[in-house]
Amino acid sequence: MSPRWKKAIGDLRAHRGRTLLAMVAIALGLAAAGTVLDTWALVRVATRDGYLASDPAAATLRFDSIPAPLRAAVLDAVRGVPGVRAAESRRTTTARVQMNGAVLTAFLFTSDDLAGQRIGRLRSDLGAWPPGDGEFVIEHSSLDFSGAAVGEPVRLTAGDGPTVELMMSGVARDVGLAPGWMEHVVYGFVPRSTLRALGISDADDEVRLVVEDGTLDREGVRRIATAARGAAESAGVRVGSVDVPEPGEHVHAAQMDSLLYTQGAFGVLALFLAAFLVVNLIAAMLAGQVREIGVLKAIGGRTTQIASLYLAVAAMLGAASAAVAVPIAMLAGERYAALKADLLNFDLTGHTLPLWVPALQVAVGILLPVLASIPTVRRACRVPVGEALRDVGIHDEARVPAVLHRVSGVSRPVLLSLRNAFRKRQRMVLTLLALSTAGAVFLGALGLRRGVLGATDLLFAAQRFDFGLRLAAPQSPDSLSAIVREVQGVEAAEVWTGATATLARTDGTFGSGFPVQAPPASTTLLVPPMREGRWLRAEDSLSLVIGRGLLREDPTLRVGGTLRLLIAGHTDEWTIVGIAETGTGPAAFATREAIMARTGEGATTVIVRSALRGDGAQLELIQRMRQALLANAMPVASSVRVAEQRRSIEDHLLMVVDFLSVMGWLMLVVGALGLASTMAIGVLERTREIGVLRAIGARDGAILAIVQAEGLTIGLLSWAIALPLSVPMSLALGAAFGRIMLPVPVRIIPDGTAVLAWLALVLVVSVGASAWPAWRAMRVPAARALSYE
Amino acid sequence: MPAPTASAAAPLIRLRDITKSYPGAAAPFTALDGISLDVAHGEFVAVVGESGSGKSTLLSLVAGIDRPSTGELQVGDTAVHALPESQMAAWRGGAVGIVFQFFQLIPTLSASENVMLPMDLCDKWPARERRERAMALLQQVGVLDQADKLPSRLSGGQQQRVAIARALANDPTLLLADEPTGNLDSKTSAAVLELFAELVRGGRTLLLVTHAPSAIAHASRAITLADGRVASDTRSTVRAMAHA
Repeated sequence: MSPRWKKAIGDLRAHRGRTLLAMVAIALGLAAAGTVLDTWALVRVATRDGYLASDPAAATLRFDSIPAPLRAAVLDAVRGVPGVRAAESRRTTTARVQMNGAVLTAFLFTSDDLAGQRIGRLRSDLGAWPPGDGEFVIEHSSLDFSGAAVGEPVRLTAGDGPTVELMMSGVARDVGLAPGWMEHVVYGFVPRSTLRALGISDADDEVRLVVEDGTLDREGVRRIATAARGAAESAGVRVGSVDVPEPGEHVHAAQMDSLLYTQGAFGVLALFLAAFLVVNLIAAMLAGQVREIGVLKAIGGRTTQIASLYLAVAAMLGAASAAVAVPIAMLAGERYAALKADLLNFDLTGHTLPLWVPALQVAVGILLPVLASIPTVRRACRVPVGEALRDVGIHDEARVPAVLHRVSGVSRPVLLSLRNAFRKRQRMVLTLLALSTAGAVFLGALGLRRGVLGATDLLFAAQRFDFGLRLAAPQSPDSLSAIVREVQGVEAAEVWTGATATLARTDGTFGSGFPVQAPPASTTLLVPPMREGRWLRAEDSLSLVIGRGLLREDPTLRVGGTLRLLIAGHTDEWTIVGIAETGTGPAAFATREAIMARTGEGATTVIVRSALRGDGAQLELIQRMRQALLANAMPVASSVRVAEQRRSIEDHLLMVVDFLSVMGWLMLVVGALGLASTMAIGVLERTREIGVLRAIGARDGAILAIVQAEGLTIGLLSWAIALPLSVPMSLALGAAFGRIMLPVPVRIIPDGTAVLAWLALVLVVSVGASAWPAWRAMRVPAARALSYE
Repeated sequence: MPAPTASAAAPLIRLRDITKSYPGAAAPFTALDGISLDVAHGEFVAVVGESGSGKSTLLSLVAGIDRPSTGELQVGDTAVHALPESQMAAWRGGAVGIVFQFFQLIPTLSASENVMLPMDLCDKWPARERRERAMALLQQVGVLDQADKLPSRLSGGQQQRVAIARALANDPTLLLADEPTGNLDSKTSAAVLELFAELVRGGRTLLLVTHAPSAIAHASRAITLADGRVASDTRSTVRAMAHA
């Protein structure tokens, strides 16, 4: 190896501690950004090879019923529509399933040929496929949630039909479904014989189609789906709703992408902060090598040769860091991708990271420190040779702010610490930037967490009931009311209905279906906070209150405006009378009477506030109500407890907050490393000064205190700067969270607890980061220090 | 002092009306004031004077480390005063060998690696010959057995010998030494000066800044500077005596 490059390596070795700090910081930033990139790439590969390869439905037409004799005609009609590549029908049945000692809600999927299904292809993961007579195959994402195992018996009941015992014979995967564990639903596949045994007819209720032109956007697919609806209806069946998802996108894909992009942004930010540490390290190295650079020039070294040496040092740092970080990112990325895949119900097995992904990380790891160091290296290498040779070694260019020369009333050692902190402005600024940015993210994440919890409080404050029972078939509201009020333990009960509505557009196409909840206008069990307008009134017929989720779908909707809705085959013009603060999904509210007039059916849901507290007592009440209703030939299909729903939503939302918070912690570690590096360099530069202090009587404790106080000064400054910096950070985090999940009222100004928590953290970081440099400062003997250059 | 060996051929170094001023807090400080002199091939010239007389400045100008404020400076065929900055380092690496008072060896490189460094920077010798050449130079200066040691393991005298070997790395005709014995004891100083004399006898030209009498005794010519001007030049004195 040529002496030039040996010198570069020797320089790194000569400053081992600082080099290691800078390497760790870069490795952390690179690992964070790399993990997110790897996750995104793996999920993208799985999406392409898994989800898209399953040929997901471009549109779904939902029907009241497609009787078996009409099925072939309906499918032929739909297939004959120009632009339709293929169409298949199936049935989805809501049932109750008893498995592993629990009773859970089940969605059962049935078609003529489950194994041969071409649209939304299913894949067998384990055991029998397709399910034969007497068999039940569970969907992969419901397996753990159900607690059951292949080979165990399950008992299915649908409506008021008989209970059928089946054997769980296998596990299959439908990548197009939102995960069962997330929806608290057991998805299963059964043959038509099982449905007959359950007392369910042979009629299908869904036609799914795919289009010929894979490049069509959502509007293009909608036009084809509308034509297909017309064709199906001309074959003699009524279409309830038409659902057209974003082409090629999994139902959770947008959320996943938003989360990944936001985390990726923070990962890149951490990487840039780490690059600043490299700048600090290179600057300190160069400050101590001015004369050496002069000598190199004196013996024939050109500026470009010398500059390339130091840039090579930065590149070596980056390469060493990448050697550690890239494998870590690949490992962590695999784990995180598996978690994401679980949320998407994808299978990552057999998918590998494309080679360009780790190659890009290595390139960034090497180039970023080089690019960050260029201005500093350029400056140092351009010092004229004569000036460089006259340099007297490491010396101070104390550019202390003038105000610190006027401070009085403090001891000289404390004054020394205050001024020491400002000796090297660039270094100070970079260190403060790293620490205060970390603090801003930390405070922002705390504010977001509070906002999320506040939002769920708000969301569920509207629901003044404990559970809802969904009936197997619509019933008379009066009869239902009479029965439920007699059940002991019921504090209040209401009978609601609901329907699926589809927006009918002026161009004849239809939007996606969304639920319309229909309580009595005078409901006391649902009181959502109104953003605008008013709640429903008893006299309302075609009046609608829309939720915020629907506003996201179509921001042109406004109070006083109208929209055409297709409900149960009827298209009517509805007037928006209010906008309510509701959850993420599109939803709307209408009076029970208005919806019953459209569906021609009775009530479908009983909403109950329990007089009894506690999970156990409420579950017993649910059982008693089921029995009471069943005894009156009004069987219950499923029940949902608000407390469980709330827990599930909160867990989901807080999971996203936690993912974002991890980035804050990461940046705090990088900031701490930055402070440690700054303190170490500062102590080295003041070796002679420390020798002088010793010579005039400073003991170990005094030296330690001076160094620690300097670290605390920087820490406290970063704490103060982080406070105003957290305001835009909170806004950014809130906006990111709003894109990922739902808009929440984020607390922009940090509260007292958050401020104190950050203060405590910064004190710990400052003391910790200064500890080793302070210890080193105490170890330097006076004689050696005084002769230090 | 040995008789001067000045040749009648063109001088190696030619200074004409050289002035060097530095900006000062109150007024500019003039380090050199209208210096004109020649140095012939093969001369061992001692440049002497009190602190602040301009002797180190003179050396810096000849080495191309600093630029004269006014005047012309020629070293060999090169008008150093007009050489662009981008070409200066390369010229210096090939034409001039510099020895510093405090040795200025790279602390993270061994003795042999320090000697190979100028060869590496100037690319004058094929890579496979560099180590052999470095070893030969270290032998010439008498420290071959220290070849693989770091500077911190060498005595002052050994370090200075390594520095001299480094100055010879690209076989320059001109050697410049700024107080090379300033940091050495008398015995080591004598050995280093004898080494310099040997190099001059071997055909090199040496400009040595010093205020040590022992160094002046080895030189064939002594130029005394005072307040930035040539106060005396023994070559002129000898010529005058010869023509008297």
